[in-house]
Amino acid sequence: MRRHDAHGAGSNDTPNEPLIALVGQPNCGKSTLFNALAGFKANTGNFPGTSVAITQSRVAFAGLHARIVDLPGTYSLTPRDGAEEVTRRYLSEHHADAVIAVVDASVLSRSVELALELLETGLPIVIALNMMDEARRKGIIVDVAALEARLGVPVVPTVATRGEGVVAVALKAMAAAKSRRPGIPPVYDRDIEAALASLLEAAPPRLAETLGVPPRFLAVRLLEADPFLLARLTDDTNRPFLELAAAQRQYLADLHDWPEESVFGSHRHAAAMDLFEAVATVRSRGRRSKRERLDDVLMHPFWGLVFAALALAGLFLIAFVVGDRVAGLVQMPFEALGRALLPATATGLWADVGRGLLDGIAGGAGIVLPYLVPLLLVMSLMEDVGYLPRAAFLVDGLLHRVGLHGKSVIPLILGYGCNVPGILGTRILESPRDRVITALLVPLTACSARTVIILALVAATMGPLAALGVYVLNIVVTALAARLLSAIVPGTAPGLLMDIPPYRIPPVMAVLRKVWFRVREFLVNAWPVLIAASIFLGILTYLGVDTWVNQALRPVTVGVLGLPEAVGVTLFFGILRKELSLVMLFQALGTTDVASVLTAAQLLTFTLFVTFYVPCVSTLAAQVREVGWRWTLVGVGLNTSIALGVAVIARFAMGG
Amino acid sequence: MTLADAAVGRRLKVIGRNTPRHGSGATIAGLGIHVGEEVIIVRAAPFSGPILVEVPSSGVRVAMGRGMAEAVVVEPADAAA
Repeated sequence: MRRHDAHGAGSNDTPNEPLIALVGQPNCGKSTLFNALAGFKANTGNFPGTSVAITQSRVAFAGLHARIVDLPGTYSLTPRDGAEEVTRRYLSEHHADAVIAVVDASVLSRSVELALELLETGLPIVIALNMMDEARRKGIIVDVAALEARLGVPVVPTVATRGEGVVAVALKAMAAAKSRRPGIPPVYDRDIEAALASLLEAAPPRLAETLGVPPRFLAVRLLEADPFLLARLTDDTNRPFLELAAAQRQYLADLHDWPEESVFGSHRHAAAMDLFEAVATVRSRGRRSKRERLDDVLMHPFWGLVFAALALAGLFLIAFVVGDRVAGLVQMPFEALGRALLPATATGLWADVGRGLLDGIAGGAGIVLPYLVPLLLVMSLMEDVGYLPRAAFLVDGLLHRVGLHGKSVIPLILGYGCNVPGILGTRILESPRDRVITALLVPLTACSARTVIILALVAATMGPLAALGVYVLNIVVTALAARLLSAIVPGTAPGLLMDIPPYRIPPVMAVLRKVWFRVREFLVNAWPVLIAASIFLGILTYLGVDTWVNQALRPVTVGVLGLPEAVGVTLFFGILRKELSLVMLFQALGTTDVASVLTAAQLLTFTLFVTFYVPCVSTLAAQVREVGWRWTLVGVGLNTSIALGVAVIARFAMGG
Repeated sequence: MTLADAAVGRRLKVIGRNTPRHGSGATIAGLGIHVGEEVIIVRAAPFSGPILVEVPSSGVRVAMGRGMAEAVVVEPADAAA
């Protein structure tokens, strides 16, 4: 199997390689299936909305090449949030040669509704009947041959987490791309079919052809008042036709006395239920499963919150204890090496550059990685097991008190891993208001880089409880900022509406590959920057430029924060990567034993300031992309004022 | 009565929707809660938070905030039979 990255859709179009799109409802396993085909490239997790962007890759099986693309999950082809819109837009702008419709067999009747919608698009479809293991556990038995016959397309049972059936799906999709045979779209009841027939008759000639869709799809989407299609039909010549469609839609709504927007959904649902009853049998589950009894505790109004608090504190402590041990072991040889190669007496450009190089390498290996790896491991486990949606359920009521709603907690928790996915994760929020507020709050959360700083500076010198205190303070400040933002950002927000998936025990390999995926991001993208910046600082030290920076920042660092002048340059470079502030702090102070140079008050002030001030450039870039310049600047202002405020309070509270 | 007033553990039948707020009607249906369907409120979150609604026929479980729940009109399932 040959693998090759191709980021950015259409950036390297190769016409003879078919384009295969993975489409399915949120959390049905698209990205897991994608990773099983292409190697670990797309992030996965057990919560709806893990993927909010497009990932593309080239694959080859049995000598056949194809480009496959993983799209964000969508409940239907009518988008309801930013992530769903990404998928619809992609499907209408790129001509996929085949679609793998990923269907979650454990909730077959709902999951197949999207597949029915996809059949109407006329695209060649292959169904990946995923999560077969979970369906079996729930007592759902699917007659695959009957399903194939009803839909007129290949159906392949898969267990993507274990790679079962994934190659078969890919090969069938490649064959479908060649044969271009469409499936059988669903047939609705008499009234709907009559309305469709009248629209097909009245349709302006070649209209469907110009839009590149089958005539029946056009008629169906107009009865659904699909905003996406309507936006492409603004031409005046189409007006009588659109008015006819609107009248038919109104007529159907009156007929059943249903709200207009749910007429078509209800009929498609009925078609899906028919299909489900024809092809699946459900054995009664009998007694309540272990997982349900687990929810009795984990989602309990009181014990659930107690567990959440204990679990988070526990995971944090594990990351600290493991990190602290390993960091101690790794740092020693580096320090010995530094003393041997570059004694304090060595001076000159090469000595400064050499110290920079050594500090950069040692900082990554001895400080960042020991804390980062256990932290990523516990975060990954939490995402994969399915705890995040439950945490959102538990704290939704509390979030309302600070003016936030529902799902915002998922981007915020992701933000504790890394702010960038946290900000992209705001796409799962339905209202623009929630998206702006949450995207401005994410940079306040202590991401893993900042957690490393908290662990290495506060926990290592003042004990893990002090570090936990910083974390609690971080959460309180974020909540207060939420209260403030919800008062100034205009708009309304719908309430929480979110799938709660069952618990899943991720395969060990899947967790390890995911952790490696994220560690590699540090190794490839961050570490070289750390090393380069450390060398750069070495050069600046040699030239004496660092003292200019330090002096320019002196009013803030010494005046306001009461820190040594030497930290100025570390705060300045921390904007590139947060870890830089830590690595450079050691370099600027000339020791890793910071407690010997800084007082407890200074350490705490420094840590708090670094935790809250301007996020790193990658986060800023993500923020600009998601909410625009204006809000990003508001966010920078917010971050900086909070950082100064909190740090000054800490300074004087600690008597510094 | 709406889903927001119903008791935990009760079997209910969805009979309609209140004036959709923010177009929530289609969204709720998209997650698998349709008119005519039976549902059970499995549990409620603290601090007047969301409720957890299960659709027994499909096995779908959805967390639904109070505002959303107010938009779903239900009646006891036995009364419908």
